[in-house]
Amino acid sequence: MISVVAFVVLAGMISAYVVLDGFDLGVAAITPLIARSDRERDASMHAIGPFLHANEVWLIAGGGALFALFPKAYASAFSGFYLPFMIVLWLLMFRGIAIELRKHFPTRIWHDFWDFCFTGSSTLLILLFGVALGNLLRGVPLDAHGYFIGTFAYLLNPYAIGVGLFAILALALHGALFIRLRLDGAPSERAARLAIPLWWAVLIAYIIVTFTTFTMQPIAAMLPTANYSAAVAAMLIVFSLAALVTSRIAVDRNAPQVAFVASCIFLGMLLIAAAATLYPYLLPSFPRGNGISIFDASPGPTTSVTALVAIVLGLCIMLGYSAITLPRLLGKIRS
Amino acid sequence: MDVVIADRLQFAFTIMFHYLFPIGTMGLAPFIAWYTVKAWRTGDEEAAKIAAFWTKIFAINFAAGVVTGIPMEFQFGTNWAAFSAKAGGVIGQPLAMEGVYSFFLESIFLGVLLYGKHVVSPALHALSAVLVCLGAWLSGFFIVATDAWMQHPVGYRVVSDGRIEMQSLAAVLLSRFAWWQYLHVMMGAMVAGSFILAGVGAYYLLSNREVTIGQRFVRAGVIAGLIFSALTIFPTGDRNSSDVTEYQPIKLAAMEGLFESTHGAPLAIIGMPDTHTKQLIDPIFAPNVLSFLAYGNFESNVKGLTAYATELWPPVELTYYAYHIMVGLGTIFLAVTGIGALLLLWSGRLYRTRWLLWLLMLLMPLPYIANEAGWTVTEVGRQPWIVYGLMRTSDALSLNVAGGETVFTLIGFLGMYFLLGVIFLYLTLREIGLGVERGT
Repeated sequence: MISVVAFVVLAGMISAYVVLDGFDLGVAAITPLIARSDRERDASMHAIGPFLHANEVWLIAGGGALFALFPKAYASAFSGFYLPFMIVLWLLMFRGIAIELRKHFPTRIWHDFWDFCFTGSSTLLILLFGVALGNLLRGVPLDAHGYFIGTFAYLLNPYAIGVGLFAILALALHGALFIRLRLDGAPSERAARLAIPLWWAVLIAYIIVTFTTFTMQPIAAMLPTANYSAAVAAMLIVFSLAALVTSRIAVDRNAPQVAFVASCIFLGMLLIAAAATLYPYLLPSFPRGNGISIFDASPGPTTSVTALVAIVLGLCIMLGYSAITLPRLLGKIRS
Repeated sequence: MDVVIADRLQFAFTIMFHYLFPIGTMGLAPFIAWYTVKAWRTGDEEAAKIAAFWTKIFAINFAAGVVTGIPMEFQFGTNWAAFSAKAGGVIGQPLAMEGVYSFFLESIFLGVLLYGKHVVSPALHALSAVLVCLGAWLSGFFIVATDAWMQHPVGYRVVSDGRIEMQSLAAVLLSRFAWWQYLHVMMGAMVAGSFILAGVGAYYLLSNREVTIGQRFVRAGVIAGLIFSALTIFPTGDRNSSDVTEYQPIKLAAMEGLFESTHGAPLAIIGMPDTHTKQLIDPIFAPNVLSFLAYGNFESNVKGLTAYATELWPPVELTYYAYHIMVGLGTIFLAVTGIGALLLLWSGRLYRTRWLLWLLMLLMPLPYIANEAGWTVTEVGRQPWIVYGLMRTSDALSLNVAGGETVFTLIGFLGMYFLLGVIFLYLTLREIGLGVERGT
């Protein structure tokens, strides 16, 4: 039981990471499309500046929570996917360096360089996160101890790459809606125009990915607990579609707050749905048999309970001071 | 390459490089909080400029610390999977708490501090500086608590399949070992922060620019440097080493280069340990002092390395030299800031004493070396254990990661960190060169 609660908390934290770091990753991906001049790109970077570090903390906190709540899964996942994981780490570092340094080298040629690095590393990161999610949903070959026994090339299968491309589209839309919310002037107009084709692309890709997930890789049907977690997943998918439609209506009616919040809900529900599909596995194997479930990876009830109390209490405190401070930093920026 | 060595090298390199930046953030944050609050309470315009100046340097440190810190959080999983799977129930917890309790605090309020000056009220802006400091110091606490548990495990039990489970979070976080180690580490960071202030101030005074601000920096740096240099030695350093004496006597013997158990053991001021002949080459001793420092009695028996099996010895040379470098530098810091404080009292003669200003400027990097050396004593001296007495470092690796893979990523980190180090130095020196008035 406590493992289930831990799984829900962890899924919530990872979803929060995707929703929050998602918008700055998305802004990075679309900046060359919506900001033409150096000043416009400055504004685009300034739009995410105050939030970037706090958003990335969700990844650190989520990683820490995985370590504390499911140490065995943390150990086998990160050592099993050693090289891809190191590439993700290096991209994360590169991205952080790029956005920090553009502030310190305020000339056109350096801005061009760092912006290219920032957009490139962010887009690649989205792709890799998507590929990782795709492989999680599909399952990967694991040995009896839950360690990955496939190759790097194996992870780049068509299904996973499809999820990666979908992730790029979804976060690009998310980023465009955030720009619409925070900037005015030409970049904001371009973001609004870009949002329409992006929205269609997301819708189509979403339908294809969801369909493939449930037909080609019917994990949910194979799991012993398929009944209720599959029901949760199905329900969330319907709700998330509603959120996606809402974001479109809000774009048309020029209500950027509603559009962005709807996009947040869309992504959040999607991730929770993915988690519900995985349940009770943290790392499912393909073919079946050697996956690491939340019960295999639990560090014991005493540890789980203290870790959960500590994490949830800390998150509540954090939400308290975020609610006071972050809205004040959300004012419109003129570009 | 031997897998254990490759993994240890990678961890040592990435953690030592990363730690350069937390030294800067933990050591500067209290000064920034002090100047920000002062500017807010008294309307001291100059203090506001000083706070803004150090906040910029803090932000560069913070960004580099985040960038190099991300791999640390995950390296336990990538390179030390056996350790993570076995001990994750204990050490995962303070690491998770670090993210949830301190990184959010630090990063959200740093956002307010950097971007919110004209958006939030002056009181909230000043409070942000204090909370950024609290976040930085809390983060240090969780890391040291994790390490202290690996030095002296408490509040755990070993279950049937060999995993280590947490019994009491309070025991882990409130352990005496953790608190003295934490305070010692923080005092070390404060010495570094103080010497940065004094060094930059000395640079301004020597180049005859921003003289009033330079004087403020030198004054604050020297006074704080004296206080914190003293506190690193007593009580924090003293208490920390008495914990080592009690729980890790082999480490103590290696630190002191003591091979034979001795009644009334002398303290080696200098000397070079030779593990083949098992003696200290060319030593200068302070007779009976080690016995006194360890047990408060000049005649006590201190156990030497030969009292233990060689396979339980840590790498003696590294532990010994790191310890002596740390202690030697600590003594120099105390002496220099002591002389500086006296000259300051002597109607501000310090501001005109060029040789001491030169010394203060040149000493700026040395607290970093002292901090890193201190950690080297702690970590290398703990070997061959990863968790003292419970798990050996050689049993802690990821079995499914080959030495070649680790060497590849180590080379990757070397390249990336070299570039990052160059850029960091360039940016920081440029901010210092721009100065407080022109830079803000």
